[in-house]
Amino acid sequence: MLTDPFTPQFLTQLEVLRLRTRKEFLGSQTGSYSSPRRGTSLEFADYRRYAPGDDLRYLDWGIYARSDRLYIKVFREEVDLFAYIFIDASGSMAFPSPPQKFLPATHVALALSYVILANQDHVKLHLLHDSSGRASPFYRGRRRMTDCIDFATSARPAGLLQLAPSLGEHLKRLRRPGKAILISDFLMPAASYQQGFNLLRAFNLDISAIQILSRAEVDPPFSRGRLALVDSETQREINYEWSDDSRREYQSRLAHHNLEIRSFCHQSGIHYSLYVTDRELSDFIFATLPAIGLFK
Amino acid sequence: MEFLNPTALLGLFALPLLLIPYLTKKRPRRLTFSSLILFTQSGTPTSRGPWGRIHLPPVFFLQLLLLTLLILALSEPVFSVRPTSIAIVLDNSASMQALEDGKTRLTLAQQKAQSLTQGLGSGARVDIYTTTPRLQRLNAEPLATVQANRVIASIKAYDLADASIDYDQSFGALAHEQNYQRIYLVTDHPAGSQGAIARVVSVGEAQPNLAITAFDVRRSSIAATRLEASATISNFSSRDEKLRIALKGDGATLTSRDVTVSAGKAATAVFEGFAAHPTYEVEIEHSDALPLDNRRFAVAPPSRNLHILAITPRPQAAASLKSIPGVTVDVVSPADYGKAVHSDYALEIFHFAAPATLPDNPSLFILPPEANPIVESGAPVGTVQVSSWREPHELTRYINFSLFRPTYARPLKPKTAGEIIIDSPTGPLAFALEQRAARYLFLGFDPLPYLGRENLPMSIFTLNFLDWFLESTGTKAQGTAEPIRLGAIESGGTLVTPAGTKIALNGRANVFQDTYEQGLYEWRHGRETRWFARNLAVEQESDLRAPRRIDFHDSAKAPGVSSAMLTFWPYLLTASLLLFFLEWFISPRMRRLMVRRRTVQTA
Repeated sequence: MLTDPFTPQFLTQLEVLRLRTRKEFLGSQTGSYSSPRRGTSLEFADYRRYAPGDDLRYLDWGIYARSDRLYIKVFREEVDLFAYIFIDASGSMAFPSPPQKFLPATHVALALSYVILANQDHVKLHLLHDSSGRASPFYRGRRRMTDCIDFATSARPAGLLQLAPSLGEHLKRLRRPGKAILISDFLMPAASYQQGFNLLRAFNLDISAIQILSRAEVDPPFSRGRLALVDSETQREINYEWSDDSRREYQSRLAHHNLEIRSFCHQSGIHYSLYVTDRELSDFIFATLPAIGLFK
Repeated sequence: MEFLNPTALLGLFALPLLLIPYLTKKRPRRLTFSSLILFTQSGTPTSRGPWGRIHLPPVFFLQLLLLTLLILALSEPVFSVRPTSIAIVLDNSASMQALEDGKTRLTLAQQKAQSLTQGLGSGARVDIYTTTPRLQRLNAEPLATVQANRVIASIKAYDLADASIDYDQSFGALAHEQNYQRIYLVTDHPAGSQGAIARVVSVGEAQPNLAITAFDVRRSSIAATRLEASATISNFSSRDEKLRIALKGDGATLTSRDVTVSAGKAATAVFEGFAAHPTYEVEIEHSDALPLDNRRFAVAPPSRNLHILAITPRPQAAASLKSIPGVTVDVVSPADYGKAVHSDYALEIFHFAAPATLPDNPSLFILPPEANPIVESGAPVGTVQVSSWREPHELTRYINFSLFRPTYARPLKPKTAGEIIIDSPTGPLAFALEQRAARYLFLGFDPLPYLGRENLPMSIFTLNFLDWFLESTGTKAQGTAEPIRLGAIESGGTLVTPAGTKIALNGRANVFQDTYEQGLYEWRHGRETRWFARNLAVEQESDLRAPRRIDFHDSAKAPGVSSAMLTFWPYLLTASLLLFFLEWFISPRMRRLMVRRRTVQTA
């Protein structure tokens, strides 16, 4: 049973979209994504000298007429896509509450999954927990959307996430390269997320990063005074004097942190987008993601 | 090191209170946040040590040091140097006879005083003083320690209350005059703050005590034949006491009563119908801290016959007094006054006459002429109006003053301090005073002609003043240290003190001053014997629960007096004040610095 925001209208809109990849992958079946192999698609790729046995239908008669040489037109092979969606399911994704952060993150993941499934491509969902993550099987076809939803909604955000080791555990079982979409708040040291991105790049995956932040993280609703702040993952506690100055200081640091992620992604050829969860999902899917080139 | 004001050290127990502002400071709200990586640069980790969440800033330790120094300064620490010239003042008042574990407080005080002298160097000189009957030095020249110990051992306690001495001032003067380096007061009073020179050495503990605080044997009126006695027992303890009180006459028990005295209250035992004896004694059968006040003495009231000498130019008026039972009157003219034997009379009545000096006997002056030492007479008044009178007073009891109208009066103008008994708009009509244990009454009107002529208020007044004079003729016991007055003609003879010491009186002496022992003094002169009772007069001396604290405020340190103490509390006070200014200077700046640092980081 599909629930809000996955209404029929929303799904219909999603069916129009197709993921864009910057790399060519070897698919398993004929699909809509170009493969490094030559094939029989309509998209011209190259010429080569005729060899006996070649299909005469692909002879370029024009070249033969001008140069009296036989050339065969070679076309790209179009294959299906294997997509991996990694969802951060650590304790920080449950702040201020799972419906305000983790649920929107799963909605983004499911929307992207539906786009993939609607194109008859393969999608696999990965939940990034502390050490042992869970991963769904590959799903293909629209009818598997409910399986995706079941898998995603069964997750409970908790624990401490070490991004690179956790990704490593999942990537060890990965056999086919494809599209990797990492959905996380990226509230971690720069070295940690950079290590994770580099690991994905090492597996020859086309990477997209979607940063999820709740409104409470962008503009903490603390009243002035002394605070004892507890880290939701490490349970570490610090004293903090909250004031207008410290609010500005925090927001400045957050902006700087996000800028660092964006810069790193830009330099590494990674699609990056920030989703603040009080924003409309459809607005983010249909306006922001196409703008960063995630969809064709 | 010693502390002159050790009470201030109790303030150290209050130091933990300094933590209260830090404990009661609003606890930070505990909030969970997704990640603290963006906060860690300016937040401080919460302590999980044994102090819990108490954050003690450096300024707290500065404040702690400040308060400690301040308390130490208030306790007035001094370094002692062994003195070479000291005075030991021993309290020898009656309360020093109280028992502490079988020893009197005086014995303990003597031991303390002797231990003080032992702590002195070989060249030290000591002066010994006692406090009662007055602050006096016992030795003419400064003593070596051995001689001083001998003098200390010879001191005896008197049956006297504490002399009213301002020790702070007196010791200051002593230190200045005698150049003492230290003065020790060994007493049963607790020590308050100590001085740089004057020190209090306390002996004894607070104790419950029972005391007979009043004893009186009297006749109910001039005409009464029966004697009655009353004794007041005060309970200076926190529990009710049941005891037996016995009345003795010449040493033999006459009767006894059981009395219950509530805690902190007094009870009176009344005895009636007992045999006549020259002297009486009451005693409570109770063993308590101070045996001295368990006994009290009294002399039998004189016979009911009042022998009056009337000096008057009008013998008929004085003769009217003879109509009163028990009253005998001898009338002489003013010119013959000097020839009379005054010791035979209990009262002298000067009627339109006055001697050049006040007589030794109790005297009544009726309309005295101008030539008298006490009062002047005003202009004669025909219609006398009484405007006020003393009440309650024995002279004015039972009198209806609306009917009290003498037809002739001359208001009095007293030249000396006394008590106005009856007053009128133009001046006093009756004026009383008491000097040298004798009572004197001055009247601006003449009551004698009215006696027996159905003028009731005037007759009552006449009986009242006769009773008043009769009461003063030695029936009431007097306090110790009050002199025994013997008439000029009675002087000489032998006086036997309560301790049995016989003192031959000088032929011309008519006053014996040294009545420092409680008990009966017997005067023998030829075949005549007279008794005088002296009792511990001050009730507070029997209250051993909370004696007055003695404080010295360093007024003993007069200019030019060298102290045996090196005081350094002013330095501590200065240091604490410096710390205070340092704290006052640092604290707001530290706060501002933290704010500025945060602002820089934000920028």
